[in-house]
Amino acid sequence: MKHLTRAVAVAAALALAAAACNANDKSASGGSTAAAEQGGTWHVLTTSKEVNLDPAKSQNLGISTIHLVLRGLTSWKTEEGKGAQLVPDLATDTGQVSDGGKTWTYKLKPGLKYPDGSPIVAADIKYGIERSFAPELSGGLGYHKSLLVGGDKYTGPYKGGDLASVQTPDDTTLVFKLNKPFGDWPWIVSMPAFAPVPKKADTDPAHYGEKPVASGPYQVKSLAPGSKLELERNPGWDKSTDQARTGLPDSIVFEMGLQPDVVNQRLIADAGDDKFAATTGTSVPAALIPTVTGNPAVKARVATSSSGALQYLAMNTKRPALSNPEVRKAIQFAVDKQAVQVAEGGPEFGGELATTLITPGIDGFNKFDLFPAPPQGDPEKAKQMLAAAGVSNLTLTIVADNSTATGLPVAQAIQQGLKRAGITVKLLPGLDSESLTDLITGNKPDFDLTVSNWLPDFPSALGNIQPLFASSEIGNGGYNISRYSNPAVDSAIAAATAESDLGKAAGMWSAVDKQIMQDSPVVPLIYARNAFLHGSKVQNFYLSAYPPYPNQLIVGLSK
Amino acid sequence: MSSSVAAAVSPTRQALRRARKDRSARLGAVLVVLLVLVAAAAPLLVKLSGQDPYTYHLDLLDPARGNAPKGALGGVSSDHWFGVEPLTGRDLFSIVVLGLRTSLTIAIVVTLVTSVVGTLIGISAAYFGGWYDAVASRVFDFLFGFPQLVFMIALGIIVPAGFPRWLLLILVLSVFGWASLARLIRNQARSLVAREFVEAARSVGSSGWHVITRELLPNLLGPVLVIATLAIPGYIGAEAALSFLGVGVPPPTPSLGRSISDSIAWVYTGADPWFLFFPGVALFVAVLGFTLLGDGVRDAFDVRLRRTT
Repeated sequence: MKHLTRAVAVAAALALAAAACNANDKSASGGSTAAAEQGGTWHVLTTSKEVNLDPAKSQNLGISTIHLVLRGLTSWKTEEGKGAQLVPDLATDTGQVSDGGKTWTYKLKPGLKYPDGSPIVAADIKYGIERSFAPELSGGLGYHKSLLVGGDKYTGPYKGGDLASVQTPDDTTLVFKLNKPFGDWPWIVSMPAFAPVPKKADTDPAHYGEKPVASGPYQVKSLAPGSKLELERNPGWDKSTDQARTGLPDSIVFEMGLQPDVVNQRLIADAGDDKFAATTGTSVPAALIPTVTGNPAVKARVATSSSGALQYLAMNTKRPALSNPEVRKAIQFAVDKQAVQVAEGGPEFGGELATTLITPGIDGFNKFDLFPAPPQGDPEKAKQMLAAAGVSNLTLTIVADNSTATGLPVAQAIQQGLKRAGITVKLLPGLDSESLTDLITGNKPDFDLTVSNWLPDFPSALGNIQPLFASSEIGNGGYNISRYSNPAVDSAIAAATAESDLGKAAGMWSAVDKQIMQDSPVVPLIYARNAFLHGSKVQNFYLSAYPPYPNQLIVGLSK
Repeated sequence: MSSSVAAAVSPTRQALRRARKDRSARLGAVLVVLLVLVAAAAPLLVKLSGQDPYTYHLDLLDPARGNAPKGALGGVSSDHWFGVEPLTGRDLFSIVVLGLRTSLTIAIVVTLVTSVVGTLIGISAAYFGGWYDAVASRVFDFLFGFPQLVFMIALGIIVPAGFPRWLLLILVLSVFGWASLARLIRNQARSLVAREFVEAARSVGSSGWHVITRELLPNLLGPVLVIATLAIPGYIGAEAALSFLGVGVPPPTPSLGRSISDSIAWVYTGADPWFLFFPGVALFVAVLGFTLLGDGVRDAFDVRLRRTT
C-alpha cells in the first residue's frame, strides 16, 4: 500500500538553471507524433538513489521498473485515456476460481524461458512467493501474506520450510488456497512477489535484487549503486508470449540520485541523449509551469494524468476536539480546497477538487458531494455549524512533512482556511517523511490534523477504502490515520471484499464511500495529478487516471 | 588639535568622534537606525498598509502562469506595496517587514547573549589562569573546530516539534557564537592582567570581581563593542541560512531566509523574480548596514587598523 510523498521538491541549483533557461528557446520541435521504433537506449532520470529489483522487497506498481525484468502470473495493460486492464502474463488466463472464491488455479504458458534457455517452472514462482515471507526480505507489497492459508505464521523458505497453501501439482500448474474469498486475487498475482525466482540462483538473498534472474524483456547489465543501472535485452524472452510488454528499446539506463530540478531542467532543455530520456516520478513543480505552458514544444512533452492519488485532510477522530462528527462536518466547509489546489500547481498540474474517497479511474468511483460548497469553502456555514454544536475557540494542531516541496504550503493553506471559520490551527513542522509516518500511523497519535496522499496498489476500490478506514488498520503502522472506527463500515468492507463479481463489488464500494463520508473522518482535497516531462524522441509515454504513472513496459523511441 | 585637549577626552569619546567623521560608518549608522525603526514598528507598518502576512489572496494570482502574481513587479499595487507571494497571494510587504523583525530580533538577542557570556568567560579565564584557563581555552578550540552548520541542521531536525523554534535558534547560535569573542577577549585581557594598574589593584586587596569589573572590563569595552557590532550581520546571515535550509522559524511566521529559499525556483524560471527581490534587498540592506557600522566602530577603536585617509 502506498503512502505517497509527492516528489516535487525544489532545491537550489541556480547556475545550472540559468544554463537551462537559455536552452529552452532552442528546443524547437516536440510532441509525441512520430512512431516508436525498435531499438535505441531509453534514459530514465530518477531522484531515487536505489532501483530495487528484488521481487520480495519491491512496491512497484504493475507498470513500473521491476516488471521490465520480471513477469508475474498476470500483468497490467494500459491504453491512453483508459484505466489499467488485467491480462494474463506467465499464466494462460487471469485465474480459475473454485471453492466459493477461496481456491485459485493458474496454468503456465508453454515455452517460457530464462536467459540461459532453461524453462520457467511453477516451483520457481512458488519459491518467489515463499521468499517474500522471509522477515529479512520485508518491505514489498504483501497483500498475499494475509490471504494465503498459514501465511500469518510462515517465516520464509530459509527457516520455515515450504508454504503448503501454494501448491504445484506439476511444472505448469499453481494452486492457491486462500483463508477467505477474495475477488481481487487476479490483481494480487500481478505483483512483484509472484515473479519466478529459481531456488538455485538465490544463493545470496540480501543481494539477489542486484541481478535477479530475468523473465521479462530485459536483464541487468550493470549496476553502479546510487548512480546508474543498465538493462540489456534478455535473450530468453519471447514477445509472442507477452501481451503487456513491447520491449522496444535495446537498452534502458536509469540515472539515479538526481536532484528534481536537474531532472526537470534537463528534460525541458531536451538536448543530446536527453531527447531519449524521461522521468517516471518527478512532477513538474509550480514554478516551472509558466516555462512549460509558455512554450508549446515543451508543453507537448508533459504527460499529465487525469486523476491520481487522493490528497486528503485526516481528522484524528480519537481526539476530544474532533470526536464530535458535527465539528468534523463543519471543517468540511471551513477548508479552502482552492488554496490547496493552487499550492499543488492548480487544476491543470495539481489536480481537480475531490469530494469522494474513491478516485476517478477506479471501478466504484461515483461522483457525489455531501458537503457542497464553493472551491474556497464556506467559512460562514462552518461557523454556524460550530456554534450549533456548541463549540467555540477551537484550537487544533496540524503536523506536516517538511521534506517535500508542498508539505508545508498545503498545511498553511489548510491553516488559513480554517482560520476564516474561527478555528486556530497550530502548525508543527520539524518532521520529515519518516518521522511523520511514524507519528500518524503509530500508537501515540499526538496530533489533530494532517494532510496525506493515498494511491491504491491495484485498481480496486478496496485499495482506496480498506487501508484508510477499516478499524483493523488503526495504529501499529496502519494507515487509518483518522483512527476511524465504525463496525457497520467494517462489515460493509468485508462484504465488498469477498464479492468476486467485480461489477457488483464496485457498487458496494461506492455505497461504502458515501457511508464513510457521512461520518466525515477526512476531508477529500484533490485528486492529485501527476505531470511528468519526457524527451522529444520518447513515444508511448502517457499517464492514465489509474495508474497515474507512465507504463514503462510499452515506452519506445523514435529516430 | 592640541595635546592637552586630546588628553582631556576619554578613549571611547575619541573613538566616537572618529566614527562620526567616517562617511561609510555614518551611512551604516543611518541604515541601522532605519532598520531598527522599521523592525520595531513592523506590526504598526503592517497595520498601516491594511494587510497581514497570513491572509491568502488567490484572486491576485494568474492561474495561466503557474499562479504567479498578476501584474507588473510581482503584483505591486497601492494595496500590496511589495506585491504578493506566488501560490498564496500573501502580502509580501508584511512578510518582509515582519521577517526583518524576526531576523533582527534573533540576531541582536544572540549578540547580547554571546557578548555577555563571551566577555565574562574570556576575562575570567585570563584573570584566574591555571586549570580554569586551560579548560576554557580547549572549549574555545573545540567550538571553533566544530562543524556548526551541520550540527545546527541536525539539531533543528531532532528537537521535538513542540519546542519554540525562535528560542532554539537563539540557543543554538549563542552556544556556538560566544567562543570566538571569548577567545579574543581572553587574549586581550591576559596582556592587561600583567599591567601595573591591575597588579596595583590586586596588591591593595581588591576582590577578583572588583578587578574584573572595575579594572579590566572598561579597558576591554572597545574590542567587545567592535566584535559585537561585526557579529550582528553574521547572525542575521546565519538565521537566514538556517531558515533557508528549513530549520528556522516555522511557517507561516514570516522569515526572510525562508522567503528567499521559496523564491529561487521562481527566479530562475523567470516566473516571478520580484519574489526574491524584496526579501533579498531587505536582507542585503540589513547585513550591509551593520557591516558598515561595525567596520566604522572597528576603525575608530583599533588605531592600528585605521585607514589613513
